[in-house]
Amino acid sequence: MPIEFRKNQALFTEVVSVEDAEGLLEWLQKKPGARIDLSACMHLHPANLQVLMAASVAIVAWPADAAFTGWLRSALAAPP
Amino acid sequence: MSPLLEQFLSEARDFLQGIGEKLMQLENAPDDVELMTELFRFVHTLKGNSGLFDFPEMTRVLHAGEDLMDAVRNGRVAYSQQLADRLLDAMDFVGMLCDEIEAEGSIGAAYAADSARLAESLRQLMASAEKAGAVSAIEEAATPLVLTAAAATAPLLAPKVELPLAEIPETARMAAYRSARAGNPLHWLSYSPAEECFFNGDDPFFQARQTPGVVWGGIVARAPWPPLAAMDAYRCLLDFRLLTTAPRAEIDEYYRYMPEQIKLLPVSPLALVLPQGDPNGGPVYEDLVVDALRNLRGGDVSAVARAARAMLELSNPDLWLSSALRWLLLLIECEPDNHPALAALIESLRSLQPVDWYLLEQSATPAVGAGTAAGATEAAAGTASPLAAEEAAALAAIVAAQRAILSLPLGAPWQLGRLRAAGAALAGCLRASGRGEAVHEVETATAQSLACGSAQPLSDWLAHHFAPAAESAAAANHPSASAVATAAARPVATASGGANTASDGDRESSSGRRADDAESDVKFGRRAEDAAAAGVKSVKVDQAKIDRLMNLIGEIVVAKNALPYLAGRAETVFGVRELAREIKAQYAVINRIAEEMQDGIMQIRMMPVSFVFQRFPRLVRDISRKLGKEVNLVLEGEDTEADKNIIEALGDPLVHIVRNSLDHGFELPELRRAAGKPPAGTLTIRATQESDRVVIEIVDDGKGIDPAVIKRKAYEKGLIDETALERISDQEAVNLVFAAGFSTAEVVSDLSGRGVGMDVVRTAIEKVNGAISLESQKGKGTRLRLSLPLSMAVTNVMIVESDAQIFGVPMDCVVETVRVPRADIRSIKKSLTTVLRGRIIPLKSTNALLGLAAPPLANAEDELAVLVVRLGDESVGLLVDDFRETVDIILKPMAGVLAGLPAYSGSALMGDGSVLMVLNIKGLF
Repeated sequence: MPIEFRKNQALFTEVVSVEDAEGLLEWLQKKPGARIDLSACMHLHPANLQVLMAASVAIVAWPADAAFTGWLRSALAAPP
Repeated sequence: MSPLLEQFLSEARDFLQGIGEKLMQLENAPDDVELMTELFRFVHTLKGNSGLFDFPEMTRVLHAGEDLMDAVRNGRVAYSQQLADRLLDAMDFVGMLCDEIEAEGSIGAAYAADSARLAESLRQLMASAEKAGAVSAIEEAATPLVLTAAAATAPLLAPKVELPLAEIPETARMAAYRSARAGNPLHWLSYSPAEECFFNGDDPFFQARQTPGVVWGGIVARAPWPPLAAMDAYRCLLDFRLLTTAPRAEIDEYYRYMPEQIKLLPVSPLALVLPQGDPNGGPVYEDLVVDALRNLRGGDVSAVARAARAMLELSNPDLWLSSALRWLLLLIECEPDNHPALAALIESLRSLQPVDWYLLEQSATPAVGAGTAAGATEAAAGTASPLAAEEAAALAAIVAAQRAILSLPLGAPWQLGRLRAAGAALAGCLRASGRGEAVHEVETATAQSLACGSAQPLSDWLAHHFAPAAESAAAANHPSASAVATAAARPVATASGGANTASDGDRESSSGRRADDAESDVKFGRRAEDAAAAGVKSVKVDQAKIDRLMNLIGEIVVAKNALPYLAGRAETVFGVRELAREIKAQYAVINRIAEEMQDGIMQIRMMPVSFVFQRFPRLVRDISRKLGKEVNLVLEGEDTEADKNIIEALGDPLVHIVRNSLDHGFELPELRRAAGKPPAGTLTIRATQESDRVVIEIVDDGKGIDPAVIKRKAYEKGLIDETALERISDQEAVNLVFAAGFSTAEVVSDLSGRGVGMDVVRTAIEKVNGAISLESQKGKGTRLRLSLPLSMAVTNVMIVESDAQIFGVPMDCVVETVRVPRADIRSIKKSLTTVLRGRIIPLKSTNALLGLAAPPLANAEDELAVLVVRLGDESVGLLVDDFRETVDIILKPMAGVLAGLPAYSGSALMGDGSVLMVLNIKGLF
């Protein structure tokens, strides 16, 4: 499972695939204000990204890859 | 190249030809359902076939064409001239791709853009027709319609206004700037994947991340996110934007499967120079600016750099000033000679406003300029670039549609969704027109409207911000705008049935089901049509295989001709008459079979002239339209057959003749009317068979050829002298058009008039042993007559002997054979001549012409053998030693080094195994 759901925080690891978006969405619906740790994430499918954007989650840690972080920050850093 | 691909290419050409023909026919009978169905089937099959290979460019265009034809077939779109034009264009493009595939084995990525453009133009046709006639489309409620309108215009407007370069972090921009200054092209790429792309297994984020040369990338949502409970994670609503330094070709190649989803804009490197940061109480750096400008004017750039560096060390790195100084240093480092840019940047320290590079850089593209302006809007609002007229009209249309929607009475609660849609559309308009700062006003107004359940707040805002007068003027300029508006409004008015009270999701799924049903119906229909095409009775054979058969039958003829020699030897050398007789009997059988076989193979090589004729309807249509003339083309005798080589040799000359006729022959409709002729001219191309020749006549009823004009032109060009000018008859004068370098056209057009025309035509026809003649009556028209042999395969030659060698002379050239007593031969100066039936015939020795030293031999009565041959319009006597029989031979053209010998037209194998050289009479002299 590339997403590890903890109490109030989800830990993304490796490559998060399109199938994980459904679970992520359900989890976030139940846990407003949840936080996300992306530090171990290599890539995530845009379906997940959409969910994160829509939920305006707080990101506690960004991925190690600077370019990847750049992409994600443009989408997630400034919540609408 | 795989056999499958070869077959595809050959079939594709046939289909393209067929599509062209059907389109032409449809022009005369636009309501013919059968023709339409057939046309659809062609396009559909071709598309299906192209899908077998990796040619997305081709498939995309064909797919659009197929959809369009489907719409036409089902009566959703009316057949029109414009439609035919676009479809023909698209088919030409596909034909070009076929050529490319044949030559290269694949399609270059550079065609992706063309392909997307063509597909778009086809789809537009469909969309516009459907929009105009959307009366029946009740399910298509207002929201999707309006959204499509907005979506259709948004790509037009968006890139010009929104290049949010300021969002890119300074370090990334600096890196991009350095890279661009190092000579790399800089492009802003926006990639909007299709909403349903996740279901195709696409990962657009990955695609975007892997873009070649990406310097910076960002992701934005297309629309505000819905509440999490209503969120559909599997509809892609993300746009990817990135800055890349890869060459354009590489990007095209990378995105070749989705060219319609990307937008590529070149970015000027200077547009990236946007200092950002904390203004720290406003501009207070006057000293620095004055000093720096003075140093700059003095050419001391390094002093400027020193001062900047010193200032930078003293300043907080988060300040606007520091950012500007960093850019200044970078600029000094990369382009120290660009003083205007440096000065502008230093000047900007005074005001703390970003430099408007667009004004500075006159040569910058408008897109970049607008981008900079957009970047500057944060500081100085209202500098957005004005929209193009077309875009303004589209904008007005959208706004008008929103107004119409808002003015409708609100009934059921679900209709509140309409308000939300209108609000979103208006917000989109604002963004697109560069008034992004007003978006939140719309959002507030929408929220108020939703809250109080009335359209009032939103329509008030609309009335306040978009003056109706200005729009209606714009709408009047753009007639379809009002049509769109009413079309958009109508479905709303009708869509108030109970079914619509169901939730949005249900409605969507039910309409989705309906669409599925319709789809499956169509598919079954298609399959049935495909079956009709099967069971064709012909076989496609590569020409090389037939040529091989031809060669083999030639060898059989030669081999069988050796049998009589063998019979002769059996009798004379071995003295067995019985065997000789049996060999002869057997020879008769083999001879009969061989001749039949030869005839059969000739038949295979025979092609109808329609092969050449079929291109004329299109040609005549295109050219006559271009010239503004009206011409009816009449084709007769299309099933007349001739050898493939002859037919192929006929193609270019005929095209030339037809072009000439259209360009010079036919008058403009007014002139024709004035001359008492019907305004539309008639061009007749008629093929008939006359004994062993094919005759093709091209007859027009145009203005004909004026012999006086021809004579004058020919004299001016030095083709005839003064005495000839007086002497030649009108008919002869008309034939001067065949002279090399002749042109009557006053102006060289792109069609004809370069003076290489008829001369080339004549040469091409004569090459295949054809003849051409021209008759013309001034004011009445012109008739060209081409006469060609049915087949080139078998040539009838006369064998002559000279210096103990045998030569063949084509019978076409031979006038007569005579024996002239030596006493009757006179010499005039150094030339020999004789008088034959009152005419002087010049005599030439074949030996001398071929460079043989031997003198011509006379027979016992001291007579010389003279073969009178035709050379152009004159007759010449060839002195030979003796005449032999005439034979049918299969002439093989000279190959390799020998091909350069003009004296011979080819060689043939004789029955006894010897080689016969066939003389080319023209080449001898």
